[in-house]
Amino acid sequence: MGDVIGNLGLGFSVALTLKNVALCFLGCLIGTLVGVLPGVGPVATIAILLPITMSLDPIGALIMLAGIYYGAQYGGSTTAILVNIPGEATAVVTALDGHQMARNGEAGLALGLAAIGSFIAGTIATLLIAALAAPMTKLGLLFGPSEYFALMIMGLVFAVVLARGSVLKAVAMIVFGVLLSCVGTDLETGRERLTFGVHHLYDGIEFVVIAMGLFGFAEILKNIADPEKRDVVRARIGRLLPTAAEIRGNLAPILRGTALGSVLGILPGNGAILAPFASYAIEKRVSRQPETFGKGAQAGVAGPESANNAGAQTSFIPLLTLGLPPNAVMALMVGAMLIQGIVPGPQVIDRNPQLFWGLIASMWIGNVMLLIINLPLIGIWVRLLAVPYRLLFPAIVLFCCIGVYSLSNDATAVLMTGLFGLIGYALYRLDFEPAPLALGFVLGKLLEEKLRQALIISNGDPTTFVGSPISASLLGLAVFALALSLLPRVRRGRDTAFKES
Amino acid sequence: MLTRRHVLLGGSVASMLASSAISQGAYPTKPITLIVSYAAGGGTDAIARIFAQRLETVLNGRVVVENRPGAAANLGTEAVAAAAPDGYTLLIGNQGPMVVNPHLFRRLRSDPATTLDPIALIADAGLIVVVGPRLPVATLGDLVREAKNRQLVYGSAGNASASHLAALLLGQVAQFNARHVPYRGAGPALNDLVGGHIDFMVTTIPSAVGLIEGRQLTALAVTTEARFPSLPNVPTAQEAGVAGYTASAWYGLLGPRGLPAAIRDRLESATREALRDSTVLARLSDDGAIPSRKGAREFAEFMSGERERWGQIVRAANITLE
Repeated sequence: MGDVIGNLGLGFSVALTLKNVALCFLGCLIGTLVGVLPGVGPVATIAILLPITMSLDPIGALIMLAGIYYGAQYGGSTTAILVNIPGEATAVVTALDGHQMARNGEAGLALGLAAIGSFIAGTIATLLIAALAAPMTKLGLLFGPSEYFALMIMGLVFAVVLARGSVLKAVAMIVFGVLLSCVGTDLETGRERLTFGVHHLYDGIEFVVIAMGLFGFAEILKNIADPEKRDVVRARIGRLLPTAAEIRGNLAPILRGTALGSVLGILPGNGAILAPFASYAIEKRVSRQPETFGKGAQAGVAGPESANNAGAQTSFIPLLTLGLPPNAVMALMVGAMLIQGIVPGPQVIDRNPQLFWGLIASMWIGNVMLLIINLPLIGIWVRLLAVPYRLLFPAIVLFCCIGVYSLSNDATAVLMTGLFGLIGYALYRLDFEPAPLALGFVLGKLLEEKLRQALIISNGDPTTFVGSPISASLLGLAVFALALSLLPRVRRGRDTAFKES
Repeated sequence: MLTRRHVLLGGSVASMLASSAISQGAYPTKPITLIVSYAAGGGTDAIARIFAQRLETVLNGRVVVENRPGAAANLGTEAVAAAAPDGYTLLIGNQGPMVVNPHLFRRLRSDPATTLDPIALIADAGLIVVVGPRLPVATLGDLVREAKNRQLVYGSAGNASASHLAALLLGQVAQFNARHVPYRGAGPALNDLVGGHIDFMVTTIPSAVGLIEGRQLTALAVTTEARFPSLPNVPTAQEAGVAGYTASAWYGLLGPRGLPAAIRDRLESATREALRDSTVLARLSDDGAIPSRKGAREFAEFMSGERERWGQIVRAANITLE
């Protein structure tokens, strides 16, 4: 423990220099602004800013880039709450109850809860990285293909809980999402699947394209078709900050979300994206009033937002301790380290302790910065709702298009987003929920990949999934959860929970 | 052979047109777009950005890197092939889309051998054979012996990636048959190698060097002809007892077919000059790459040789065609 404090002391002595604090602030500010713009993600921003960081020293460059990353994670939830358009893929879940809170006149409260939840999660995750980076790395390494597959199965079972309406429709949406994830080249054989000869589908569909279409464009179509509903949000803005009692009331969801996010964040292949979904599912399960979920439950915002931020932070662990990037942003961080002449890997902690501990300390400073930047901004963001829709809608559409285009500099992606917007509107009219589809899509890719990898490794032997204690217990848990939801008593309870008002 | 004559013929016609139309030194007058067929942050992108920065100084003009990922890196090839051959749209082409994809795709929209003009080879990046805790062997010879004994499992950065093909080639040369587990990129595959879920991998040097230094992985051999400067203790495959096994991922500069000779020569010499810069050399070395001296003609010959070589491996392994 003394070591950790000493090391953190070293870290703060590096991170608290005027220059590094300024870079951290700049990164968080850019990140927040980028995150608020729908579709413009941290990957594009960091890629653009990468050459600029060459003129900085290594630690300064990494501190700024890290700031952009968690700033964007946080900023993404702002648009999710205010206009029901997730600025970031991970904010899809936040939109579910966050936007309902905005409709209930609690936009400021939702933004405040998200900010405070993120801060608490960020603080805990920073301490976790400082104290437990090494054992958590080992935990991540235990997850081979078969363990990962079992985790995905558990995720699918929990996905059903995401639904607000009919369970059958939710299952249909999950399956549709899994099918969409199959579009593109077969990982193992290289054959094209479901591409219908369309060249641009060869590498599959980007999650951002689906999220922006189903949530962003569809939401705008919905509002145009239904002018009465949209005015509800504009009429009432309400309180800006949560009370101490409200923060206390949400402490348990925040802590549960933090724990989930911290563990899922270290998994390879962007496990962090699962964290908010899992947190939402669990909060709904343990809630004494599950019927409030989907109608503006505070725990449905606080939990997933904390999970999201914790996951964003612990996804630095594989990068820092092994040099292995778990997602695209971390891959860019590897690039930034290489530009600075640092080879990422297990030796960084011994060879560049200033960099290692300085970056960790800066994560916490970054969380403080986000709070400083965002709490005063809430008032300004909320006022965005007062902008007339004839101005707001074209602006949102424009930003969505820019964001999607920036993914691969390809106009086809923008057209595809438009198509998903139409699909999303049709689903809305038919009373289908888009959130289970999004989760099905996210899980589907990994599900198939890990299933096939596990089976190749075991030479086709399916007992590999129950052979390891981790995958066996995860599968057991999934079966248990499924059985529980099929029991008549619990099911009656859930049916009431799902009933729309 | 036909391919090469095409390149030379196209070059000489273009040079006649060019010498009358464009005077030396009038290029570049506007920003040059350098297309990378992969998303920002990858190895090819890193090389492209370092190279572009130096090229700006040498050419005294703007060079903008544009990422055009998609369709197994074929979209980048198509974008450059469709651009005007005026030297303002160039491509960083690497082994996969330049010489492997023509063997994998029956319906390739633009074949690099007929739609692009090679300008210069930039760098040759070696690969490295690594093992993790699941296969505790110390030499490449031990790995081969073990692989003949029982079927090993190797990971790769993806189907038909350099890492997959180099492992296939190792199996062909050393005469063993191993099971291939494809991943999405080298990162997740290395994670499973370190975690002891797979036996071995042939991967790019920068992706593994940190893990080797941190003793999470054991390096058995480099696939280059000479030892690698930053890993002096790792033998070549030849030294480790597998003669005739070399493989590399390479990066070159190409333009649309029909590039005026004056512009091509200018870019060829500018590339040569950029590759003399010490920061560029240091960065290439970090990326496990050795700067090349091959100009337009040698690069074209090298490409057709590579195309032949990897074609045989793709066919022998019967990698499915779409």
